[in-house]
Amino acid sequence: MSATLTIAKEEWRYWRRSNLALAVVAVFIVILISVSWLTALRMHAESHERAHHQADSDQTFHSQPDRHPHRMVHYGHYVFRAPMPLAVFDPGLDSVTGQTLFLEGHRQNSATFSASGSSADLGGLSWLTPALIYQVFAPLLIIVLGHGAVTRERESRALAPLLAQGLTGRTLLAGKMLALLLFVLLLLVPLVVSALISLGSGESLLAAASLVGVYLVYLSVWAGLALLISSILHKRSSVLATLAACWLALTLVLPAVAVNVSSYTAPLAGKIEMELTMLTEVRDLSDGHDVDDSVYDRVHASLLEEHGVDRVEDLEVNIRGVLAGMAEAKLTETLNVYAERRMEAEMRQADLLGGYGWLTPALAVAVASRTLSGTDLDHYHRFLRQAEEFRFGFVQGLNRAHAEELSYIDDINRSRDEESWMRARVDASNWQVVDEFRYEPAGASVRLASAGSSISMLIAWLAVLSGMLVWTGGRLKP
Amino acid sequence: MSTFGALKRETRFMLRDRAFVVWMFAVLCFSSFAVWSGLAEVRQQYESIAFLMDADQQDRSVEFSKQSDWGSAAYYSFHLTYDPPSDFAFAAMGQRDASSWKHRLRMLALEGQIYEHDPGNPELALIGRFDFAFFAAFVLPLILIFLLHDLQASERSAGRFDLLVASAGSSGSLWWRRACLRSGGVLLATLVPLLIAGIFSGTTGSTLISAVVLVVAYILFWTLVCLWFASWRRSAPVILASLIGVWVLLSTVLPAGSRVIIERMVPIPTGAEILMTQREAVNDAWDLPVENTMGPFVERHPEWAGYTHSGEGFDWGWYYAFQQVGDQTAEHLSEAYTAGRVERDRLAGLFALAAPPALLERRLQNLAGTDMRSVLAYEGRVRAFHSELRDFYYPGLFRGDPFDPGRLSDLPQFSP
Repeated sequence: MSATLTIAKEEWRYWRRSNLALAVVAVFIVILISVSWLTALRMHAESHERAHHQADSDQTFHSQPDRHPHRMVHYGHYVFRAPMPLAVFDPGLDSVTGQTLFLEGHRQNSATFSASGSSADLGGLSWLTPALIYQVFAPLLIIVLGHGAVTRERESRALAPLLAQGLTGRTLLAGKMLALLLFVLLLLVPLVVSALISLGSGESLLAAASLVGVYLVYLSVWAGLALLISSILHKRSSVLATLAACWLALTLVLPAVAVNVSSYTAPLAGKIEMELTMLTEVRDLSDGHDVDDSVYDRVHASLLEEHGVDRVEDLEVNIRGVLAGMAEAKLTETLNVYAERRMEAEMRQADLLGGYGWLTPALAVAVASRTLSGTDLDHYHRFLRQAEEFRFGFVQGLNRAHAEELSYIDDINRSRDEESWMRARVDASNWQVVDEFRYEPAGASVRLASAGSSISMLIAWLAVLSGMLVWTGGRLKP
Repeated sequence: MSTFGALKRETRFMLRDRAFVVWMFAVLCFSSFAVWSGLAEVRQQYESIAFLMDADQQDRSVEFSKQSDWGSAAYYSFHLTYDPPSDFAFAAMGQRDASSWKHRLRMLALEGQIYEHDPGNPELALIGRFDFAFFAAFVLPLILIFLLHDLQASERSAGRFDLLVASAGSSGSLWWRRACLRSGGVLLATLVPLLIAGIFSGTTGSTLISAVVLVVAYILFWTLVCLWFASWRRSAPVILASLIGVWVLLSTVLPAGSRVIIERMVPIPTGAEILMTQREAVNDAWDLPVENTMGPFVERHPEWAGYTHSGEGFDWGWYYAFQQVGDQTAEHLSEAYTAGRVERDRLAGLFALAAPPALLERRLQNLAGTDMRSVLAYEGRVRAFHSELRDFYYPGLFRGDPFDPGRLSDLPQFSP
């Protein structure tokens, strides 16, 4: 044990004296801290702005005057997706998905206005976030520090005496690994700070701690890989070149290649395509605007029978409101079938992509990080589903007001003259059907469970590398 | 020794270098994969457009068959607009993954419709695809760095350096020759798949030539950078680490910094402002006197000044007039949003001069018609089409031309 510690200490002493190592670490820390700071600022501004728009939107809806309730169905309402607390570290899909969603009767709109759609385009890497720095650039740092771990001893002909003195190869590698792991822990300090901040804004300890844990495993994988190559190859220059090539393949090439493959093998129909497919499949959908639509004749008759009256005018409820409610329910049911179909197809594609995490830990950590932060596709879908539920709720609330608070006679005569026009409305207190929209992210344990497969990929990587290190350690030759 | 002989000798050396051959093969594979999957994506987009056009046409004729007045015909009929991929889009998908290139519109207020988003999977858009532009701009420089960083250091550590310099006469030309041969090999492996794909998909000659010139210049730039670093009297690992540092600086740090600065410099209205302004204008109109709507409407369309509202409750002409007035009310915000995007894009072009990877990617996207300018141009065509629709329906709505289903076949057609 003490030999391991001594080796680790020696490694750190060597790094402290190496100008290259110090310079690289210093630059990295500066970049990481400034990006963390900028991302936190951006997400706080976004959060503030969206909350402001939401309050504005709620207030505008509630302050509408007395009106015909169906007017309010078309007036509609806006909801905004509040960013997650951990988005200060990993904004995930936040920048590529729309944040503003218009909810109205008879339609499911898409979330509009994504940040990437109006941003200065300077290449994909210009969307620098703390998460991306950990995923792509921290491994470089580990490579620069770790590539010489064993080869350096070899090149300076210190390895042979070390082994001759009775030090086993495994102890040597354990000591070097310990040094690298301590360095990884040091690298994680800014992440821990971000996680602590997110706890302050309501994130659960489980999610924040798991996030730190995931990155610990990921960076350990890189430490293990650096050490492995360093103990296998003999020339320091070829160790570094090999590790740099691995880095290029694992962090830049493979994830992007996986995107191409996923989009090719599981092609996705767009929203418009889905809409048109739906229209061809379901031609008889009505928006309920036309009461005499034959589809509703049956309803019409049964309603009269139920209330024991002969004419719609004698009904206690306004049949136009009842029918509007039924039409909305039927339409929504169909719309939801297609919306779900589309979301499932998106999830299938995303899962297929996530599966390539077996090939590259960079992809596995990216997926796990987004999932734990609540900024992944699943959470985007949660937002869409909750917004849809909210939409249906308030539209039906308005339809209820239409049925119960507006008389049929006033309703059908509304276009007769100015006075009738004014009479065909309900009290503005009905607009309270729109209450506060609160986006509910999944709980930490649900997120942890859905990050499970990506986390197991990372652990598998670490396990395989550890096994290979133990094996190499046993056969280490000068 | 003749230059030709020297070249032949160097080529022989180079081809015997296993690492070089492996990297050449990797470049060839990357480039081929990038253009192949680009072509596949373009084909999928064309198939999707064909389906959409067909379904759109059918949907419209079904809707039209149910309508008996101009107002309802316009209300219930949607129109597909789209931006087909160009003949070079396979090389750089650019904004096509993030911005909408297809819409389905009707003659209601346009501002509420034009920002509708129909993108692909955001999870895929976030990572970004491996297209030729990404490969050339970001991956290729790293491969050049791996190949060229130890040109001199490796000879030094092998103890051949002095001998080589002495026998080559001028040492400068020796390293030049070696670097150019290696870069030339990489260049060839990069461009051959691109050119084959370009010819296969009928890319315009001038576009292909421009792309080739860009890639040649880009590889030359990185070769020079590598050569300069390689001439340091330092060990290969130090040179390699420094070159990767330069790559990180140019491909990531500068672009990321520029983006933050540009977004601070050019604020744009939020989407919520545009949409809510438009909606308020449209909805308030229901409760306002008809003159409040028709005044601003006639100002823009003096030819319909003679229109009189039927006076009682609902009337289609008035309805579409306030849809248009809704657009007019939000116009300043919408224009500011577009102008902001133009300005941000212009500044990005300027800042990219300092960051060659971003510059190359932007130039390739420009050639492919997948940059921000192309997105804005498409938006412009959508706006023009929408206003043609208005021109088509307005005589029926405001002059009282009798409804004639036969005339619906004269509807304006969107041409991409």
